[in-house]
Amino acid sequence: MKSFDLITPEGTRDLLFDECIVRRKEEQKLRDIFTSHGYSEVITPALEFYDVFNMKARSFRQEIMYKLIDSKGRLMVIRPDSTMPIARIVATRLKNEERPLKLFYSQNIYRANPKMAGRDDEITQSGIEIIGGEEKRSDLEALSLAAKVLNSCASSEVRLEIGDNSFYKHLLNKLSLTDDEEIIRSLIESKNRPELKRYLDNVGADGEYARMLLDLSGLFGGEEVFSKAEKLFAGTPLTDRLNHLKKLYDVLCELEDKDRITVDLGLVNKAEYYTGIIFRGYIGEYGQPIISGGRYDTLIGSFGAENQPAVGFAANINAMTNVALKNGEKAKNNNIDVLVFARDGYLSQGIKHCKQLIDSGLKAEFCTCENEEKAKSYATAKNIKKLVIVAENTEEIDFIGGQNK
Amino acid sequence: MSERKTIRIALTKGRLEKDTVGLFEKIGYDVTLLRDKGRKLILEIPGADIEVVLAKAADVITYVEHGVCDMGVVGKDTIDEHGGRFFEICDLGFGRCRFALAGKKGHNFYEGIGVKTIATKYPNVTRRFFEAKGMDVDIVKIEGSVELAPLLGLSDGIVDIVETGTTLKENGLEVFEDVSPISARVIVNPVSMKLKKEKIETLISQMENNL
Repeated sequence: MKSFDLITPEGTRDLLFDECIVRRKEEQKLRDIFTSHGYSEVITPALEFYDVFNMKARSFRQEIMYKLIDSKGRLMVIRPDSTMPIARIVATRLKNEERPLKLFYSQNIYRANPKMAGRDDEITQSGIEIIGGEEKRSDLEALSLAAKVLNSCASSEVRLEIGDNSFYKHLLNKLSLTDDEEIIRSLIESKNRPELKRYLDNVGADGEYARMLLDLSGLFGGEEVFSKAEKLFAGTPLTDRLNHLKKLYDVLCELEDKDRITVDLGLVNKAEYYTGIIFRGYIGEYGQPIISGGRYDTLIGSFGAENQPAVGFAANINAMTNVALKNGEKAKNNNIDVLVFARDGYLSQGIKHCKQLIDSGLKAEFCTCENEEKAKSYATAKNIKKLVIVAENTEEIDFIGGQNK
Repeated sequence: MSERKTIRIALTKGRLEKDTVGLFEKIGYDVTLLRDKGRKLILEIPGADIEVVLAKAADVITYVEHGVCDMGVVGKDTIDEHGGRFFEICDLGFGRCRFALAGKKGHNFYEGIGVKTIATKYPNVTRRFFEAKGMDVDIVKIEGSVELAPLLGLSDGIVDIVETGTTLKENGLEVFEDVSPISARVIVNPVSMKLKKEKIETLISQMENNL
């Protein structure tokens, strides 16, 4: 039988040395940002029941979830997302905790992506959720934290983009097109105006609401988007939502470089789940969003608790790590200062010597080679500057540039 | 990517490439290097901030999705078959043809209760088409001339690109039903669209105005 014991499954990879250090650093950076702003960590199991991810307000497409069957025959998944497990916790164990809740997580999610597309199936995500807070203040807090995360990426090209899917939902209702939702949503999401026009003409949708829906995907850019949208939505209830978004935009522009804040009213991803603002973070070095978030006021209610206002986002740590490595981020010099080789009969002294060096603040390694020759060549190969041989008369050998001085 | 200020556009080699280069010429770009390209795969448009990459259709999508190319020109057939995360901004109108279900002339495809076998180069398009009808079919992927499959008795029908229908006719086949229209599309990486909005929108409106 063919054996696959030498490779990792597609979409996964081993991380070695510097990659680990940079990955942990990126994770720690976000952890520091979140904890210093008053967020508490939660860790959820990698295994969850399928049902957690399979209801109307939180549907994940079946085919992107890795599934297993437990000993009782129940369907389980390896978590494709962290927000739904957190909503589950909020609806159950945290039901009676003081609101607002400010939670953060830093854990892997798993998605069965189309093969050979160069996408990660295993992604480390760090993110926050604010539950039970007032809308305006919570939206602003989430956005300003997202901006902080983006600014922490050493990239000159950074954008935080905000939108709101209530425009899209409202127009769809007005046009009574909710049955065609998925097709229309994907056409708006891909900014496919010509095809959307054809589609709307086909189903006989016309008039001002159809025109608004058609123009939605083109409404992106800077401040000018708001004046265009004001004209387009004049006299409809959508102006209230637009005002909310404009206020957020204005406050964000006071806090951040204005060029870094953009708007896209055509953001309509996960429409069954987001119920208000949607936002994304981009950096120039990566071809997909590295931050994705939004408001999801009906999710917790779908777990049998009362509906609670909630907003959050997740940052893609894999992407941030790759960009940092590409930008030449070097792991801090992790070289060993001293290699300690103990001759037979002096093993305990060797261990003790090593400990003393470490206690004095050096990095010391107890040599596990079988003889001095091996120890020397090991020190040369690993670029260790000093070798200490522990014996009756302990001697120190200095290597410079790998040469025996 | 961040260092690159130019717009990099991937063109599908062959007819779409030729039509797009023609379009660039009409806009007023200097296309001599694009015409006289030899075996080069990355080409410049002198005096413009545009770099042209030549690739196979499916690769255009891959390069754009990963953001190593900002934009691409690719047929709707490839988009429908491969999907992906990108913006599909405009329909260039050339490269026009259609996906169709075809089979032996005079044959009633929907007759009978047996599961039909369909030969195609586009299994995803085919699956979606029959899924929408709630119909179970066996799909056989064929790499070359799909017309052979029903003639040799391997399949009840084919789903393939049909332009004029001449090949079908010459082999005693006919179109049973249209599946979807095809033409050349401009696709854009979602991050590039946001970071290089002005340049990309300028190029797209130049293209649209010269169709």
